[in-house]
Amino acid sequence: MESQRKEIGNGVSINLTYTDKFKSNYLGIYIIRPLEREEVTLNSLLPMVLDRGTINYPSTLLMERRLENLFGANLKISASRRGERQIIRVSMEWADGRYTGEEGLDKDVLEMVKEVLFDPYTEEGLFSKTYIEQEKKNLKTRINNKINNKRSYSINRCIEEMCKGEKFSIYPSGYVEDVDGIDEKILYDHYRNILLKSQIEIVYTGHDNKMNLEELMPEEILNRESIKYVPREVIIEKSQNKNQVREKMQVNQGKLVLGYRTGIRYEDSLYNGLLLGNEIFGGGPNSILFRNIREKHSLAYYVTSNIVKHKSIVLLDAGIEYNNYQKTVDLINEALQDMVKGNFSDEDIEIAKKSVRTSSESIIDNPQMVSEFVFGKIIANDDRSLEEMIKQLEDVTRKDVIDAMKTVNLDTIYFMYGPNREVQNEKNKK
Amino acid sequence: MKKIRNDSLREEIYNQKLDNGINLFYFPKKGFTKKYAIFTTNYGSTDNKFVPLGEDKPVELPEGIAHFLEHKLFEEPDEDLFQKFSSQGAYVNAYTNFNQTSYLFYSTDNFYKNLKLLVNFVQSPFLTEENIEKEKGIIAQEIQMYQDNPKWVVFFNTLKAMYYSHPVRTDIAGTVESINKISKDDLETAYKTFYNPGNMVLFVVGDLDSEEIVKTVNSAGKDYADKLDDVERIVQNEPDDVLLKSIEERMLTSKPLFHIGIKDNELNLTGRDAVKKDIITNIILDMLFTNSSEFYNELYSDGLVDSSFGAYFTGKKTYGHSLIAGQSDNPQEVYDRIRRMFKKSDKYITEEAFLRIKRKEIGGFLTGFNSVEFIANNLTDLYFQDFLLIDYLDVLNEIKFDDILKRFNSHFREDRSVISIIWPELETGKN
Repeated sequence: MESQRKEIGNGVSINLTYTDKFKSNYLGIYIIRPLEREEVTLNSLLPMVLDRGTINYPSTLLMERRLENLFGANLKISASRRGERQIIRVSMEWADGRYTGEEGLDKDVLEMVKEVLFDPYTEEGLFSKTYIEQEKKNLKTRINNKINNKRSYSINRCIEEMCKGEKFSIYPSGYVEDVDGIDEKILYDHYRNILLKSQIEIVYTGHDNKMNLEELMPEEILNRESIKYVPREVIIEKSQNKNQVREKMQVNQGKLVLGYRTGIRYEDSLYNGLLLGNEIFGGGPNSILFRNIREKHSLAYYVTSNIVKHKSIVLLDAGIEYNNYQKTVDLINEALQDMVKGNFSDEDIEIAKKSVRTSSESIIDNPQMVSEFVFGKIIANDDRSLEEMIKQLEDVTRKDVIDAMKTVNLDTIYFMYGPNREVQNEKNKK
Repeated sequence: MKKIRNDSLREEIYNQKLDNGINLFYFPKKGFTKKYAIFTTNYGSTDNKFVPLGEDKPVELPEGIAHFLEHKLFEEPDEDLFQKFSSQGAYVNAYTNFNQTSYLFYSTDNFYKNLKLLVNFVQSPFLTEENIEKEKGIIAQEIQMYQDNPKWVVFFNTLKAMYYSHPVRTDIAGTVESINKISKDDLETAYKTFYNPGNMVLFVVGDLDSEEIVKTVNSAGKDYADKLDDVERIVQNEPDDVLLKSIEERMLTSKPLFHIGIKDNELNLTGRDAVKKDIITNIILDMLFTNSSEFYNELYSDGLVDSSFGAYFTGKKTYGHSLIAGQSDNPQEVYDRIRRMFKKSDKYITEEAFLRIKRKEIGGFLTGFNSVEFIANNLTDLYFQDFLLIDYLDVLNEIKFDDILKRFNSHFREDRSVISIIWPELETGKN
């Protein structure tokens, strides 16, 4: 699957991947913003307001009805964290006319995407006050909801503690205390500002319907003067804290998160060694952690480690009984030492290679994943093809894995625990 | 293999019942890298009372046994299955729901080797007292993880309120107490009955060769002396009405969560009729509760619900329910408005809305065919209701507005509805 890239204006490019294997097409417009406290809450609120209406479909109800008539074209507007960037994405996936029996809907779909992003519903040149107030309330709820998912909450808390003072610690949904100060003018000005100053990437994956995607962008976007590109993240090489943070909450299960720094940048040749090392260490059900913590010691149902690519951080998390905290941490430390000492088999390396390869190859079976892959390469400034990436992984040696794992240093441990129920049960048994 | 084609979808499916009893389906997906296989037994958490194969008296096993057995089948005497699959470039997994237990893998190469391994391990249990004890610790953690999830608890409380005795009201994984009672004998009894090929189905999706698939499954499948057609499952007579009108609990959550459940009483349908009822009910729920509906927009503008609000219907032969879920500072008001709307719905149940939602369903279904997982998982689910997924669009197309009106009047009734609420803890629990 070949992609073409073309710059159509200052800071605006189109990325096309044509294929006939899907029954639907996918279009994403990505606006790249820095992750900063000053604008994170604005960027987080903006998609919720854009979702409320356009110039021709001035309410959620009318927008949704329009989309349903386009055979349920799936419009999504979101803001999310990618390293120290915040990405605002407007995307649409729609069933191709060859299958719905109504060809020529593509133009209507494009029109809709364009309207959502460039012609939102306004009142006297600003966003609707009513919509803004409703969505401010909804955003507060959304931010407060982070506690509902204890696992992701714990991971975010670990990042917060570990990366204090770094942009990466900024909570991607924004801050409740920053919501109140926003009004229809502040958000509208911000919206105009980001349209005029940000790098914009258009990514299309699907059937070649001879659409002219350049028409998606209004003249003023094609002729912008100065673009503010978001710089590469700052990488802290050494672990700094050796922090231990414990929080007591009303939960049944303890949530353990360990944050490590590696200092290996994704541009470094050793990064592939880290990718495989992490896979062997805690990547999946064939990993050392899974075999030890879960299968051998039955301490957890889930235990995994993940690399935060743009920050050269590894985050490991597990759900355990509170009173198994020390035992689990000790076993994790031992497992990491084993990696550093090279106590893993050649088969482990082969398995890790295959596992990464299988998930890489599967990307091309889904139009959204293809688009995300294409976009991911742009922000990482990576012009390798998928095949080249897979090939380079094949070449990773045992020494690469060990060298990479030697750089993995513990920085912060976060632990959420609850009332002392299990200890009592233990006593009762005796 | 026998070929079944659907022209509007431009897709076909192959089927053959093999000599070893395995019912095999192959769905070709040309040009896809990912290849997917899913081997399923018609055995879920609701099947814990049944007549074991070769016996004549029913037994009742501890709650959570189907899910426990799923975990245990990954145990082999001399090798680590996860590693074995991984070394062949495959990702393996399994899941248990109310009605089925499925074992699956996907890979981009070595497909036939992996397929053989899948059939082999599902058909050769290795249970020891020791490995059963070990699993109890892992599953206890899984159960506690769910117990900390307010969305899971609000959902199960709804089922507990709606049903008197139907096993759908019990947690799929059971409780820490019930799984501690599970013995080797229990697991063996369940295994020999429900893992007989007569109770199972194997679906394969991808860019593959049908003859090679048949050859692989033929050589991998075990011979079963006792052939089985159907397992006798005991389901107590479940009353039409609901057990409790409301159920409430406090948990660590930021905002009150609610589920409104409506118990179905048009049961015992199979095949096209079951699927048609399912689609009709889901179309009605979309007409009423999705963000293109006036009713939703009224609630939203009044600040009663947010974009997490939504509804769906799910049902099988012996149970069924619509669930309307969301979060709100005033769940009772949401419930009152919904019940009032049931009595005065002309504004919302319109032919225009029906036709619009129908178009959306068509697009959504077609988009699903980009995913080998979507195809295989839905094929499996509908297979046990005697229906082939590729005929789904035809059923969708034959639904008329009259069907909508009829179903609305019979199903959406206040007297069969319940509300489940999770209130936030009085103290947030932080200290």
